[in-house]
Amino acid sequence: MADQPRTAPAARWVPWVLMAVVVAVALAVGSRPADDATEEDRVRAIASTVKCPACSGQSAATSDAPSATAIRAEITRRVRRGESDDEIRGYLAGRFDDILLTPTSSGAGGVVWALPVAAVVMAFAGLAFAFRRWQASSPTTASPADRDLVARARTGGSPADAHGEGDGR
Amino acid sequence: MAAPGRRRLAVAVAVPVAAVLALFVGVLATREPAVNRKTDSPLLDQPAPGIRGETLDGQRFDLGDLEGRWVLVNFFASWCVPCIQEHPELKRFSAEHAAAGDAEVVSVVYDNDQENTERFFAREGGDWPVVTDPQGRVALDYGVARVPESFLVDPDGVVRVKITGGVEQAGLDELLAEAGG
Repeated sequence: MADQPRTAPAARWVPWVLMAVVVAVALAVGSRPADDATEEDRVRAIASTVKCPACSGQSAATSDAPSATAIRAEITRRVRRGESDDEIRGYLAGRFDDILLTPTSSGAGGVVWALPVAAVVMAFAGLAFAFRRWQASSPTTASPADRDLVARARTGGSPADAHGEGDGR
Repeated sequence: MAAPGRRRLAVAVAVPVAAVLALFVGVLATREPAVNRKTDSPLLDQPAPGIRGETLDGQRFDLGDLEGRWVLVNFFASWCVPCIQEHPELKRFSAEHAAAGDAEVVSVVYDNDQENTERFFAREGGDWPVVTDPQGRVALDYGVARVPESFLVDPDGVVRVKITGGVEQAGLDELLAEAGG
């Protein structure tokens, strides 16, 4: 039986590179702020990352409590003034104790966002390493026993051994 | 006389119930009091946010003008029951320190219209500045979640204590002494 044609080493990397490109493009597109987001969208997005100080388990985006209403008005004012999301959230965090629902993306808070990404990258790297080791350790040519098994299966074999599994079951 | 089995069952029920009751009493006995309750705030030991605005009687008010004295900044609303309950205590605190000239009370109106606020002060008394805050900006600057909340600001304009819930005059004096006043 003829061996399978071997692929060139460089060609073996093409699917991986393509996959990396697809993932990078998807992440870039997914994390890009929408161009057509209105001021109201941005206010709602920021308010949804801030707790309503007077409520339990509700964000400032959805509550009608006076403090939540004041927070939304202040976010609107600061968005119009051109402040960044982190600046606005920083102002609120400097006034209310433990008010943010999500950590900031800069400084020490950024570690919380970076860690899962780093974990996924390391997991994929580990899988790639493991696959390569398994590939290197597995036989690339059929043994005489394998050939014998295939030959028996092709010639029909016994009805009791239709799958060529032998007596070892 | 009860059978030993029934007695064992009674003990098995009574012991956990007694333990839960003891725990309950322990929690109630050791928790913070409902008045003069000090709480954390990012503003502690920071310069007090400015309060510039208009008082109920139409005067201009600036917190900076009170530098050199302790100031109790009290956020309240006429519809808030603990605010009504603490009001006589605020009056006592204000009267006591007005004579000594070392501390002042300033009230900031929280989510309340002018008419109801004026009626509240006409009924309950109190002759300290009452600052209107129609947009809620002052309350936001102080991180007020619900009323009543009070902040003790030292003579240098630094926030030293945040109190959530009602206050009592004696407790306020203790907090003032603790903070160095």
